[in-house]
Formats: sequence, C-alpha cells, structure tokens
Amino acid sequence: MKVNKTINLIVIFTVLLSGLQTRSSLLGQPVPGKEENIPFLVTFGKSGETSWGDDDFYEVFFFTIPVDFKQQFYIRVFDPDTGGEHDEIQGEFNTRSLFSVYGGRGVDPDKNEESRGLMDGGNYKRGNLLASNVFGGEARYDNKYYTFGPFNPTEGDFNTKWNAYIFKIVCEGISGDDGNLYRYFLSRDRDNNIPVEGGNAFTYEYTFRMWNDFKSVAHIYPYIDTGIVWVKQRNFDWDSDGHILVVSEYKQGVEAPISAEDNWIEDKMSIERAEWGASLDFQFHKKQGAPSDLVKNNNVVVTLENQRGDALKFFSSPIGGVPVYQAKIRVTPVNPKK
Amino acid sequence: MPLIPGIFNFMIRKISYITIILLISFCTCLTQAQQPSVYQVTRMSFNTGAFSEISPVIVKDGIVFCSDRRFSGIKDRTSFDGRRLYNIWSAVRKDTLKWEQPEMLKSERSTLFNNGPLCFAPDGKTVYFTSEIETGKAARKKNFRNHSGIFIAELKGTDLVSLHPFKYNNPQYEVGQPSVSKDGKYLFFTSDMPGGQGRSDLYYCENINGEWSSPVNLGPEVNSPQVDNYPNMHPSGKLYFSSNRPGGPGRLDVYYTMLSYGKWDSPVLMPEPINSPSDDFAFVADENLQTGYFSSNRRFNDDIYRFASTIIRKASCDTLVENNYCYEMIEENAVKFDTLPFRYEWKFGDGEKGIGASVIHCYSGAGSYLVQLDVVNLITKEILYNEKTYNLEISNVEQPYISCPDEGTAGQNIRFSAESTNLPGWKIARYYWNFGDETIEIGKEVDKTYIKPGTYNVQLIVSTEPEPGGIIREACVSKNIMIIR
Repeated sequence: MKVNKTINLIVIFTVLLSGLQTRSSLLGQPVPGKEENIPFLVTFGKSGETSWGDDDFYEVFFFTIPVDFKQQFYIRVFDPDTGGEHDEIQGEFNTRSLFSVYGGRGVDPDKNEESRGLMDGGNYKRGNLLASNVFGGEARYDNKYYTFGPFNPTEGDFNTKWNAYIFKIVCEGISGDDGNLYRYFLSRDRDNNIPVEGGNAFTYEYTFRMWNDFKSVAHIYPYIDTGIVWVKQRNFDWDSDGHILVVSEYKQGVEAPISAEDNWIEDKMSIERAEWGASLDFQFHKKQGAPSDLVKNNNVVVTLENQRGDALKFFSSPIGGVPVYQAKIRVTPVNPKK
Repeated sequence: MPLIPGIFNFMIRKISYITIILLISFCTCLTQAQQPSVYQVTRMSFNTGAFSEISPVIVKDGIVFCSDRRFSGIKDRTSFDGRRLYNIWSAVRKDTLKWEQPEMLKSERSTLFNNGPLCFAPDGKTVYFTSEIETGKAARKKNFRNHSGIFIAELKGTDLVSLHPFKYNNPQYEVGQPSVSKDGKYLFFTSDMPGGQGRSDLYYCENINGEWSSPVNLGPEVNSPQVDNYPNMHPSGKLYFSSNRPGGPGRLDVYYTMLSYGKWDSPVLMPEPINSPSDDFAFVADENLQTGYFSSNRRFNDDIYRFASTIIRKASCDTLVENNYCYEMIEENAVKFDTLPFRYEWKFGDGEKGIGASVIHCYSGAGSYLVQLDVVNLITKEILYNEKTYNLEISNVEQPYISCPDEGTAGQNIRFSAESTNLPGWKIARYYWNFGDETIEIGKEVDKTYIKPGTYNVQLIVSTEPEPGGIIREACVSKNIMIIR
C-alpha cells in the first residue's frame, strides 16, 4: 500500500513538473535562457576589479534533469576561453577560468546551503567532481562550444521537490583580470544543442552582461514559492544605467532601485498570495539617451531573498512561463458630484 | 380655553342650532357646486342624538372616543357644576358598516371627572388622557374653574389602571389633548400656559431617557393668537390640529403642518367637507391617509364622522431612484502602488478621455459603452493600446420616473413629467399624480402650482391597460419637492 502511494505521488509530481516546464521543454535549456534575452554570463579573473561588474569572480549554476529522463546528457559551454571574440579585455588577455561540473550528494542547494555560492567562505564546490577543465586564451574554443560529459542523470543529487537530479557547474576566474563571457547549453548531444526535455537551469546569484544597445531588455525570472510575503532584491554595479521593472500577473512594472558603480543596493517588495507558484519578471531597461550616453560592457549582479533570508532561484526557463501582466479594471457606480 | 370637552362645548356654542344647520346646508351646497370634493364623509352609526361624541382614536378593532352619553341607567353622573361627564368609550367594528355597542373604559376617575381626549403610546397599552386636576368638591366657588391636565394610565381589558399625572400639569392653566408620536419620542398637547401665542397653543415635550422634557411652544409658524388645539401627530409626519383662526370656513377647522429642515411649515387648511362652517376638530387618519375620523358639530351636536379619500395615495410607494450615469474606473493592481512609471489613459466610449489609475466619468445617459485602457510605459515610451477593455452597459432604473425640479416657489407653475418612465413591456394607460397637498392630476405631463411653502411628497402611480386575464399592473414612485416662499 505504502509503495503504491509513493508511486502515485511520484506520478503526480512528475505530471505537475512536466506541466510547469512544458514551455522550457520546447525552448530548450540555453543558459541564459531565450526569454531572458541576456547575451552572456560573465566571470572575471580573480585579479579583476569588482567595479567591472563581478563581485566574487565565480558563478554557480545548477541544472535539473527530470527523473523520467534516462539518457546521457552533456553540458556545453560556449566560448569558454578568455580572448578573441565576446570577452572583455583588461589590458591584455591573461585570464584562466576553471569550469567544473559536480554531481552527487552536497550539490542540491535545497539540502546544502553552501552549494548556492552565496556564503562568504562557504564551500560552493561541494559534491562529486564529475568533470573540469581550465580555459585560457585558446583560440580553438573561441566562439565555439566545449562539451562536458556524457553524464548519467543518476549521477546528480536527487531533489524530491522538483523530482529531478541536480547537477552543478561552477565557473571560476582562477587568474588574470579579464572578463570571461560565456553561455551554457544542456544538451542530449555532444556536438549539437538538443534540449533535454523537462530540464532546466537556475542560479542564486546572477552575474551577467547587459546589451550594448538602448532597446534590448534583459530579463531574469525568480521563482516565488508558497509562503513568500516579501522579497529583498539586491543588485551590484548597475552603474545607474536605467531602470529595473518588476512584472508579474499582478504587477505591471514596479520600479526597483538600481545600484551605482561598484556598490550594492537593496530594496524590499511585497508579494501577493496570488503570485505564489509562479515567476516574477525582473526587466532591465537601459537608460535612454544619445548614442554617446550608451553605457557599454555593463556587467551586473542580482540576488533575491525572501522574508526568511532564503535565497530565491532564478530559472533560465521561467517556471509557469513568462509572467504577463493582466490589467484588472473595476467599474463601480458613484454618486455624481453636486 | 378649557380642554375638557364639556366645558369646551359650553364656551364655543352660542349660535342657535337652527342657524347653524341652515348655514351649513347653504355653504355645503355652494361649495359642492363649485368643486367636487376629494373626501367622502359619513356620520358614524354609533353617534347618539342627544349626547356628544368626539375625539376618535384609531385602534386595531375600531376606535376609542369620548362621549358624555349616559353610562348609568339610574343616574346621570355630572361634574361639580352640574354638567354631564365625558368619558372614554370603545367602539368595535363589526364589519365595514356596522359597529358594536360602545363600551366604556373605566377608571377611578370615571364617575368624578371628565375624561378624554386621549391617545395611545406606541406600546398600545399606555394611555395618555385628559382629565381634571382638582376635585370639584374642594372648590365649589362661584368663579372656580377646574383645570385640565394629562394623566397616564395602563389599559387592562376595559379598565384604566395605575393612573399618574403628567409632570407638567398645573392647576393654574389647561394642559390636555395629548398625542404621542409613532416613535414615542414626542408628546404633543394643547395648553393655555403663559408665554404662548394667545389663547390655547400647541406644545410638545421630548422623551429624553424616559423623562419628558420641558414643554416647547410650536411657535408662531404653527400657533395663532386664536384657539389652536387637538394635535394629532400622524405617522406620515403630518401634525394635524384644529384652529379657529381666520381663513377657514368657520369656527374650528382642521389644519396640518410638517417639519421641513427643522422648521414647521405654514399650516395647510384641510379641504371641505372635512372642514365646514361648524366646529371641525380632532382629525385622525390611517397610515395611508385614505380613511379616518374627525369630530364636528355640523349636524346638531358633536358627532364623529368617518372620511374616505377619493384621492389615490399609496402607503407603499418606492422612493424615486435617480438614474446614475457616473462611474469610477480603477486599474485595481495599479492603485496598490503610490508611483508607477506608467500613464493610464482611458477612453470612455463616448468620445471622452481621462488619465490616471483611478478616474471618475459621468455619461450623459444610458447606453452601451466600450471602455478602453491604454497604458504608456514612461520608461520605454511604449504604448500598450487596449491593454484592457470593458463593456459598460448603463441602463435606467426600471421605475416610473418623476421629472421635476427639487425646489420651487409658492405660486410658481411647475411642470411634472413622466416621460422618462422606464418600464419595459408595460403598456401604460394612466399616469396619476398625487401632489401631496390633497390634489391630483392625470397625464404624462402635467402642471402644478403649489400655494403654500412646505415639503410635498409627490407620488406618480402608473397603471397598465388590462392585460390578458384582466390583470392591471401598477407601480408607484415618490419624490419630495420643497416649495419656498
């Protein structure tokens, strides 16, 4: 009886999760996600300046592989080198980045808070090291993919809430001072980007590159879990370059404060019960102006935590889909003014 | 003027009965020839020929009244000065025409003093009645006059028990003819106490925490230098009373007044045949003002008459609901935040526009309007056209509709129109207007001139042609109109 009950629960969870993630299955698992419209993740060499837009010189991302996905998969890194195209040079390219993939116990950030990479001095590399590689300025990886894997889904750390195996990839600027700009893709194929159905990716601290144009709007999609009353948003090194608008089905665009050069700013925002179980859309609008006013190569860091101090996940494919504001009109008769 | 009926009759009647009868007949004929009356008046069957019956009070099964008729087969009871005693009697209605033989309501004062007029408190048990303060035996002097006061008793069966006097009775002057308002909060009465407008005046006391406040004179707006008496506070808010002031058909006539914005309106004279050249007084009416009773000595001596109004006035009539075309439109999520980088632009569907997360717009009339909300993102300058639309259906209230000004002046011609009546499916055959001053008109658009200032409750009663099965549908709305000088 107990076994049957457990199976039933697993089936229900699977159905729910696959329902939530239908859109992500169709769109695949690029990181940053397609809806995020973020050109690159960015990690600076540890000799860089934080004022260049990276507060800690590493970035932690997690991949979820649904329990019903039984095949091997790969984690592909686009432009893992630091040099050539895309990357941000400081003087001359001298940066080496370590990409390492982890699975097994200690990876799941719900069970191991250190794994999130938010704690000063915390061991964000907990878990079994499955693969790693150091990239310098190798031209053969410039503007190309490097593929980690294959991995078996069961090598990950199982998370019952998401009914999925969790893997972690860490990019660390181990030397130099340049900015390594790169992207990930969770793929079923070594040489092509073929999505893992139902897979997703998330992080707790998003360090990314803004677009170098006025019109493009970047988005990140924190998931609002049940019980969240308010969230505290923190962002770093925004260079006062525009506006952050927070959108949900119930928020048309609540403005959040933005940070200046090399500093953090934080702000609380209330969450309505109706927003639980869906994602918020943090929109990053660049400041409008003349071409000469354009802030280029702007790298920013964003984190969110709830009223209990728990960090919120930013999903590359927003859970519940991209939130679309639903205007709500109320029309009531009133007494005419006499 | 004394307030006990026997004394009152003695003072007032000096003209011979034959002269009165002739005069009444003559005047009545004249009046009837000129204008048909809105009241039909009939003399009650229980009146006696030789005795007086006055001051009716409507109760559940009939009326209670005062009479100096004999109540003992052996001996007539008289007051100390030899006049027959008035007492309180109850008459129960058998059917619409016939009445039981009246029965006396007895008290410890029945055989000694005049008793009545009276009224009932809202509880239906407590009786306020007029009687004499002093004993006749103690004061058999030549110029002595027994003064009346109000007494309070409890009615148990046909007995008045637990008698106690009203705190403002005074052996120096008359206090009597009580009338308690429907809510029990005010006691109206008549008195010739010092400080009035002349002779007897109307006064009231307010019930404050179970105690009656000091008497307040109703003032020169109501009281005249002549006799003003027999107050009756009707549930409709009309205060009926009698007065022999100039301007009526003669002697005591029935008037009414109402409180408007804290002031008493100028008294309005009731039409004939309620009033006559004789004494007409002690007017009472049912809640609808359709039927009632009053006293008059138009025939020979004091009798009680029943009246029935030929005017239609509905007891249950909805207050006119003004059609409202004003609406507040709110973008509900937006108003939760003090500032948002958006501008909300409303198109109301009638060519008008408004800006703001919350706007109020008044349409010109009923109709179907498509409300559109455009939102301008002040950061991106992007315009989200028709971000939300709303079909607003505005319809008029289904009711007869009175179109008229809220205020007018006395003597001014005022147009009343039922043109905006909205009763879908009704084939209206008649528009009946009751102007609240005992006058009526029939028609979809009518004109009316009020003579006196006051607040008048106008009723519009519409009725359909007979529908299949002979059913006639009827609807009524009312509206107050204030007439100033």
